[in-house]
Amino acid sequence: MTTAAFACLFVFSVIGYIWNRQAATAIRRDGARLHSLVGFHGAYSLLVVLVPVLVLILLWLLLQGPVIDLILKSEIAAHLDGFGSGEVQLIVAEIKSVARGVVFGTPEPWKTEAAQYLTALQTRAGQLLLVVVTALSLVLVAFSHRKVSAEFRARHGVERIISGLMIFCSVVAVFVTLGIVASLMVETSRFFAKVSFVEFLFGTNWEPQIPLREDQVAAEGAFGWLPVMLGTLVITVIALVIAVPVGLMSAVYLNEFAPRRFRAVAKPLLEILAGVPTVVYGFFAILVVAPTIRSFGQSLGLDVSPNTALAAGGVMGIMLIPFISSFADDALSAVPQSLRDGALGLGATRAEMMTGVLFPAAIPGIVGGVLLAVSRAIGETMIVVMAAGLIAKMTMNPLDSVTTVTVQIVTLLIGDTSFDNPKTLAAFALGMMLFLVTLMINIFALRIVRKYREAYD
Amino acid sequence: MYDAPTPESPVTTETMKFSARNVHVFYNEAEAIKGVDVDILDKTVTAFIGPSGCGKSTFLRCLNRMNDTIAICRVTGDIRLDGQDIYDRSIDPVQLRAKVGMVFQKPNPFPKSIYDNVAYGPRIHGLANTRADLDGIVEKSLRRAALWDEVKDRLDTPGTGLSGGQQQRLCIARAVATQPEVLLMDEPCSALDPIATAQVEELIDELRQEYSVVIVTHSMQQAARVSQKTAFFHLGHLVEFGETSHIFTNPTDERTESYITGRIG
Amino acid sequence: MTDLSSHSARSHLKRRNRHQTMIKGFGMAAIGFAALMLFILVASLVSSGYKAFTQTHITVEVFVDPAEIKVDRLPRGGFDDVLLASLKTYFPDVSGRADEKALEGIISNGAQFALRDRIVADPSLIGQSVTVTVPVSDPFDQLAKGLVKRDTPEAQRRVSDREIGWFDTLDRADAISQPVNWGLITNTDSRFPELAGLKGALMGSFWALLVCFVISFPLGIGAAIYLEEFAPRNRLSDFIEVNINNLAAVPSVVFGLLALAVFIGWMGLPRSAPLVGGMTLALMTLPTIIIATRAALKAVPPSIREAALGVGASRHQVVFGHVLPLAMPGILTGTIIGLAQALGETAPLLLIGMNAFITSAPDTPFDSATALPTQIFIWADSPERGFVSRTSAAILVLLTFLITMNAIAIYLRSKFERKW
Repeated sequence: MTTAAFACLFVFSVIGYIWNRQAATAIRRDGARLHSLVGFHGAYSLLVVLVPVLVLILLWLLLQGPVIDLILKSEIAAHLDGFGSGEVQLIVAEIKSVARGVVFGTPEPWKTEAAQYLTALQTRAGQLLLVVVTALSLVLVAFSHRKVSAEFRARHGVERIISGLMIFCSVVAVFVTLGIVASLMVETSRFFAKVSFVEFLFGTNWEPQIPLREDQVAAEGAFGWLPVMLGTLVITVIALVIAVPVGLMSAVYLNEFAPRRFRAVAKPLLEILAGVPTVVYGFFAILVVAPTIRSFGQSLGLDVSPNTALAAGGVMGIMLIPFISSFADDALSAVPQSLRDGALGLGATRAEMMTGVLFPAAIPGIVGGVLLAVSRAIGETMIVVMAAGLIAKMTMNPLDSVTTVTVQIVTLLIGDTSFDNPKTLAAFALGMMLFLVTLMINIFALRIVRKYREAYD
Repeated sequence: MYDAPTPESPVTTETMKFSARNVHVFYNEAEAIKGVDVDILDKTVTAFIGPSGCGKSTFLRCLNRMNDTIAICRVTGDIRLDGQDIYDRSIDPVQLRAKVGMVFQKPNPFPKSIYDNVAYGPRIHGLANTRADLDGIVEKSLRRAALWDEVKDRLDTPGTGLSGGQQQRLCIARAVATQPEVLLMDEPCSALDPIATAQVEELIDELRQEYSVVIVTHSMQQAARVSQKTAFFHLGHLVEFGETSHIFTNPTDERTESYITGRIG
Repeated sequence: MTDLSSHSARSHLKRRNRHQTMIKGFGMAAIGFAALMLFILVASLVSSGYKAFTQTHITVEVFVDPAEIKVDRLPRGGFDDVLLASLKTYFPDVSGRADEKALEGIISNGAQFALRDRIVADPSLIGQSVTVTVPVSDPFDQLAKGLVKRDTPEAQRRVSDREIGWFDTLDRADAISQPVNWGLITNTDSRFPELAGLKGALMGSFWALLVCFVISFPLGIGAAIYLEEFAPRNRLSDFIEVNINNLAAVPSVVFGLLALAVFIGWMGLPRSAPLVGGMTLALMTLPTIIIATRAALKAVPPSIREAALGVGASRHQVVFGHVLPLAMPGILTGTIIGLAQALGETAPLLLIGMNAFITSAPDTPFDSATALPTQIFIWADSPERGFVSRTSAAILVLLTFLITMNAIAIYLRSKFERKW
């Protein structure tokens, strides 16, 4: 049905284009001077039909699901009495799959009836859409045709519509941010209705997978996020310990000391490190790095767990090296040539110029880069999901296994998710914290870079 | 604004500091300096004048081997400082530049404190053993640059917070702190307002008593005011070199005369 | 008098030069470390993955016993018994249920279905002998590739000494071969490593990237053109720009949460569908495309715009007729790079469910599917030894795609970009 609606819309748009174009050509042939080219008249009609109706179809499809759900639920309200929202969702899902023809076992007869009712609703919705689309398209074609005349500024009309479309495209980014904030907040507030704010922020016990009884929302202390956050911090610190020195030293060398050909080879090499997908890094961690650390540590007589924070953090550090290196390189290059000349003119060696003048001058940019690397490390998921652990522990020992915020978000949501389960909601609460923290770091980093850039201008 | 030459203190010694013979400078294949011979004397201000692009800054940068930092630049010829060939293999340009200081066109203080700006040179060359020594050098250099009284109470504030003229004097103090024997100045006043320019010019005359000063300037009036010797460059050639008063009142070469009278440049 | 080569001056200079050499040394060591890590990464992937590009097969002569397989009972039939019988021709004295099961275990579990499909297609084969080449099961594949070492004690080995003896006999009889493992690309996922392939994941990624491109390319270009060429410099456009820059730095897992809550929860779209995956990836690729397009538009010199305006073109005509075509190479380069990044994204796809065990490739973007990176994740988690090398092989496939896409982008950039 929806394809029919789209096809119908397409046909009417083309009709409108051809009709208007011909009308405009006719006027021109009669000797009058047109303001706009005939193509624009046609395009005007096409856009006037296409854009509003397309928006209508998309909105319809967007709302069709929830609206039909509502109607269905009200129809079977009698049967849903006494069920929690989690069960209602399951029942609705079952009815939907029956309607699709996927039947498990023998469902109760009222469910089969409900499935038939659902199918009928969907068909009617599709038919209604087709009718509305046809009617609206006809109206718009007629409306746009009446506008054709010699003085009609078709080109302006077309340009205005296109500008409107482009403005819409620009605003999408804002919508997405709003969407993120809104969805996170809705689910997080539902979470905090079940688990206390204080317990979440300051609790040191994170065990969301413990089985919960029907009437018991959460056992005491099962949703305290501190150990999870500590795990994130430990792994981030380990990653930075590797990435910052290596990244900065390589940037220093590439910026000032490397011959041109060496730089031309080394920079792309570092970029390759940046382009490797994180799932590959995660596999590398469990295939090579973690076993190596484990056997090395055990040969030293240390107690090393199979998925150490050291392995996950180490691989994450390798991933961040090109990040920091390129930020530092940019910051060093941004130092004006006059400062370099000033230092060299005083008889400094290139190394003294670098350590005494360039590097200190580039520190704001470098700090900004490091902060952005921190933000990336905190938000990184796949490396830690594969190489770090699942049990939250309040430890700072790099040879222990820790879990991070991102790991918990993923493990809580893989598998069955019903949107009322506090486990699911906990994942959203964690996501909210993650979003806020990375947002603040990013804003702070940009602020630092911008503020100190004026220092030597 | 003064138009007449500044009254000069009598010059007592006129030993040769730099002697350059048959200097050519190439940027890839383009020849920027075409066979220049010149003598720079001690305790003297020598001015390089000429229209833009004639090579005076390029030649100036040969004297402290700053052209080495430009990859495509090639210098041939004989340049001697106190008889020593500065392009000799055994000479490290790093040490040369401690002896031959440079002040640039646009003031370029480091984004450090005033103290650290002046102390940078002595620190890297190891000229002070104790903190007290360093303090002494910093104070002496700032006095010599006629800046001490203005900044002695705020030595820890950033050098970039000073006015344009003060910044340039800070750069002069910084250059003087490495105890050089020659000061090269590449259009030091072109980015300054007239009052700051006058202060710097006055300073140059004082500096002359300690150092050999070579100043590149696009302003003939400035050259006439501050220098004792003047060299006129044109299209990479050194056209005429001699006493400032002679150059400006009775030039020998007609190109010099055209430039002085404003017909070219 | 100047003395540039005095002794004390020289020793101090030596110390300074040593300091410089040390700094250069650290720098080169850092780069060397990074290069070494990259080398180890690639080397370990290649060395563990190259073996998965071949798959041990066994060729046997199978007598399609009409007693076991009857035309009217097709597709049901004792295909596995028939295969076992063909094996027993090599080892006639193997008897007893346990031993027979062990012998049968040499052949992959999927072989019976391959045989079945052949007979269903051509029922006349019943009663005749056919030659079939089918994969061996994973333990024997590992054995043939030397990954199961013969010298480990039998109790710790997956295959017993007797089973190794059988295998060697078959090998000596030239029944074992190791052709290229095309199944890695043409098969869909399976519980058995010897039968597992990436077809489903490749199709899933293809659909997801297609949806991502269709959504993010027009939206991104439209937004970039508006912001760069038409928008007045006011607080609203500043706000939009800040939003775009922030979105570029949001962790990918948060986009997964958004998709879960809005696309699957509120809009009710099917879970695990490449459609939802593509929509999520589009949201993540959008800032990349916008930023790259703006840079490309900025690089076109104002003189072009002024020339067009001077002839009487409207601002739209200037942008769409002159500036945009000139900026296209840069835009396409940025888009390809953005899509390459999207291809490697895993976390958001995991959250929307594209990590289920699915054995058929998606025909439409609405069917459940996995994607290449999520498939890698699933295989990395699987306990069978055979999946270790297959995961590495899948990673190599993914990296090949990424290298190709980046190479195309770089080629486009160098060939078509004009230096003004």
